[in-house]
Amino acid sequence: MPLHGTGEVSAQRLDGREVIARGGPVSANPSAAFRAGWDWIGPACMAILAGIGVLFIYSAQHFTGGDFWMKQLLWIAIGGTVYVAIAYTDYHFFYRYAHIIYIVSIVLLLALWSPLGIVREGSRRWLNTPFMSLQPSEPAKIAALVMVSTVLSRERLGTVRESLFALSQIGALVAVPIVLIFLQPDLGSAMVFCPMIFSLLFLSRLSRRFFIVVLGAFLCVLSIIGTDIWRYHEFLKDRGYNAHEVLGEYQKTSWVPLHDYQRNRILGMISPESVDPRGIGVSWNYRQSLSAVATGGPFGKGWTRGEQAQLGYLPRSVAHNDFIFAVTAEETGFVGTSLVVGIFLVLLINNLRLASLARDRFGLLLISGVSVILMMHVFVNAGMTIGLMPITGVPLPFVSYGGSFILSCCTLQGLVQSVYRHRRSFA
Amino acid sequence: MMSPAFISRWRFALVFSAITLGYCGIMARLYLLQVVRGPEIAAMAEHSRERIDVLRARRGNITDRSGNLMAATSPVIELGVDPEKMRPEDEAKLPAVAKILGMDADELSRLCQPGTITSKETGEVRKIRWRKIADAVSDSNYDKIRAAGVPAIYGNRKYVRNYPSGMAASHLIGFMNKEEAAVMGVEGQFDYYLRGQDGWRETEIDARRKEMVQFEKREIAPRDGMNVELTIDLAIQDMADRQAAKLADTYHPESVVIIVSDPKTGDILALSNWPSFDPNNYGSVPVENLRNRAITDVYEPGSTFKIVAVAGALDEHLVTPNTLVDCSASAASYRGRMVNLPGESHGPLGTIPVSSVVSLSSNKGAAQLGMKIGEENFLDYVYKFGFGKRTDAFGPGEVLGIVHPLDKWDGLTISRMPMGQAVCVTAVQMHYAMSTVASGGVLLSPRIVRRVYDAAGNTVFSFPAKARDRAVSSEAAEKLRIMLEGVASKGGTAPKAEIPGFEVAGKTGTSQKVENGHYSHTKHVATFTGFFPASDPKIAVTVVVNDGKRPDGGICYGGTVAAPAFKEIATQIIQYMAMEPPKPSGSGMIAENRTSR
Repeated sequence: MPLHGTGEVSAQRLDGREVIARGGPVSANPSAAFRAGWDWIGPACMAILAGIGVLFIYSAQHFTGGDFWMKQLLWIAIGGTVYVAIAYTDYHFFYRYAHIIYIVSIVLLLALWSPLGIVREGSRRWLNTPFMSLQPSEPAKIAALVMVSTVLSRERLGTVRESLFALSQIGALVAVPIVLIFLQPDLGSAMVFCPMIFSLLFLSRLSRRFFIVVLGAFLCVLSIIGTDIWRYHEFLKDRGYNAHEVLGEYQKTSWVPLHDYQRNRILGMISPESVDPRGIGVSWNYRQSLSAVATGGPFGKGWTRGEQAQLGYLPRSVAHNDFIFAVTAEETGFVGTSLVVGIFLVLLINNLRLASLARDRFGLLLISGVSVILMMHVFVNAGMTIGLMPITGVPLPFVSYGGSFILSCCTLQGLVQSVYRHRRSFA
Repeated sequence: MMSPAFISRWRFALVFSAITLGYCGIMARLYLLQVVRGPEIAAMAEHSRERIDVLRARRGNITDRSGNLMAATSPVIELGVDPEKMRPEDEAKLPAVAKILGMDADELSRLCQPGTITSKETGEVRKIRWRKIADAVSDSNYDKIRAAGVPAIYGNRKYVRNYPSGMAASHLIGFMNKEEAAVMGVEGQFDYYLRGQDGWRETEIDARRKEMVQFEKREIAPRDGMNVELTIDLAIQDMADRQAAKLADTYHPESVVIIVSDPKTGDILALSNWPSFDPNNYGSVPVENLRNRAITDVYEPGSTFKIVAVAGALDEHLVTPNTLVDCSASAASYRGRMVNLPGESHGPLGTIPVSSVVSLSSNKGAAQLGMKIGEENFLDYVYKFGFGKRTDAFGPGEVLGIVHPLDKWDGLTISRMPMGQAVCVTAVQMHYAMSTVASGGVLLSPRIVRRVYDAAGNTVFSFPAKARDRAVSSEAAEKLRIMLEGVASKGGTAPKAEIPGFEVAGKTGTSQKVENGHYSHTKHVATFTGFFPASDPKIAVTVVVNDGKRPDGGICYGGTVAAPAFKEIATQIIQYMAMEPPKPSGSGMIAENRTSR
């Protein structure tokens, strides 16, 4: 892809580095900002994805009737406005108010345990506000990204020993939202934090040894979970493979802090036969989603003509949000899914290009963080649809139905645009 | 890839490649799922969405000759409960439901408790999702139960067969068993017409296994079964049933068979067996009650069988009604040897005309008529009257009876068979032999079904009366008819069968049952078979009382037990059919015969 690797830009970057070296970006003056023009590739990708989203939200509800596609259009309009507003705002504004943004996001998370919080299907994920049902984990992602980027752009990282203070600071900052989200429980959203933080640390030149240790720890956790899941499988085998019947029994005997329904999802992906031999219980979503994608074939069944989605084999409660990719896959086939995944790839590579054009480390970290968050969403969401990931409630950016999520994604991409637009504004 | 100088180039490249690699993984997986394995998985998914529903055809009705329902199919609701769907608040509503059903509330509550079943093959433990509460609930009761507001209790529509006429002609009608298979009788024989043809519907179902009408693919509508109209007349059947029950009450026999038919067509108007059963509840009686004894049980016919010898002798012009027969001889010459003649049952008779041989039921006379005919010809007549053959009108279960071929005969057979010994018959065979006399010498097939008709009442198949054989000439038959009238009169063996003015013709029979190879002196089969009016027979009736016990300990004779029963039925039929006595002018021969007696 074309990169703006001109001498002029390089000079800018060098300049940016100088700024960082002096201890953080210079406070920006928006009025003095040099209008550097817009990046159009990002918004174009977003618009196409949002359009596809509306089309298939309509299709997902076509059979039973529903107006979510209109609501989605409204959210896209609001999200577009937010996007433009943030793009116009110099991103250094977030640098300056990162702590306030962060505190507000934590308060919102805590508000879930107030009377405002709604418990749906055993999860405490939604805040009931007069205007909308808000998912506080969405602003928490953005706030954590901004906060960590702020810290990292101020601190110079080297070996673990040298950067112990910064690391503990970041660890504490990130741990609070992760724990709160984990308690909801919303494993999927909590999962998105880790790669974001680690990639930011990685880009911030933290010692290689740190990542080797992290990787080792990750593998350890993975093997512990793996062993636990294997034990769970044996447990199920003794009880006639009826996961639905014995739900909640195994978690009492295991010290791994997972719920049995989460184990079911993981095991359901590895070996659906042992969780749910008849395919009508806990592995239903997994099987039906896989079936929807596969039956789409190379060219799909046509818009609003996918039986899996239309007849409710893909559960109607999730077809328009978490499983929108399956609906798209069934009705447009490999051609359609390639297009969607391809657009995401274009969007993310473009983001990385913009990251490389960022004026300062804060901007670069922001864009990288946004890219990793979006990438994780795409990977986890599409992955669960096609059986590469356990089923979690992670939506597909710009495509899935959901107000909070559209706003959150537009805010994230707005930050990217802002960093790009203000790449030449120097104080 | 270029990267800003303030981060490591290769670290940036690593992040970039990680993202790209992730996407490649997704693309590869999509390619595998959608392009490589797509068609195969699509076929599987298609299959699991398809559902073929059998659309049950409604079984046709069985009616009597005037259209009264004897077997009908009605839709009912089978009620059950899904214990897993019981909500805590439902428990309080159960007593109300139990009251509608008329069952014990505790019992209903027990049925609604969740439980598990273990599959015998796989050992898989499953929750019980359906427990039957009631077999057949009416629509109105079902509405009430649904209104009680327990969603876990619901029903499925199904058809049940019921028999509005209860025990009437149950042996002819047969029944449907619990597996919905037709068992015996018309249900079995005409199952092909009655059952109709089930249809089917292929539909797609949604995830909750609900049918999607808009995705309906093919539908073949069921074709309801056709209706069968019997020859039975429910009113006459009822008379016969009552009479059989009355005989059973009075004489405590082993069994009773009463057959009523129209001798000109062979139509069976009533066929009553005692003991009997109710097809609505066939399981509650001993299995032998299900037997249609009129076709499955054989007995020695005794004197009723004498009509064969007399008719044969008349047909061969060997005798006339007035030919004298020596009924005092102890032996008679037959083909160069002397054959012992049987004894008389009712005392010595002397030399009497053939007409008296019939009316007084002379054993010696019948034996000598048989000898006059000769054994080959006599056996021929036996067959021509339908003995030793199935009528084939009743379907499986009918027996041949026992008629020994000539090579099995011993020296005495020619003197014993004409009086109804050494031969075994079914009640139906005897009845149709007598009907042959009434119908001018033609042996008719019994007819049970008149026609098969569709829902609109159009006849699809009709079954006309069918002649099987000519047994004797019409002259011989007519002569015998007149002689048989003498039986049911003052001078005959069955004065108790006489109905003044209605020219009852008939023959009594009392045979000893064979026990341990010897004739029993205490067990008898009492028969009366006859028809009326003799000059223009309209109704034939046979009454067989097997092993009756008189309250006074005497022998149950055909003339004293069966004949009065015959008369009672005949009288009722005459009233029911509003029959008028025939005009004497049409039956000159009868007048002549009366004077000669």
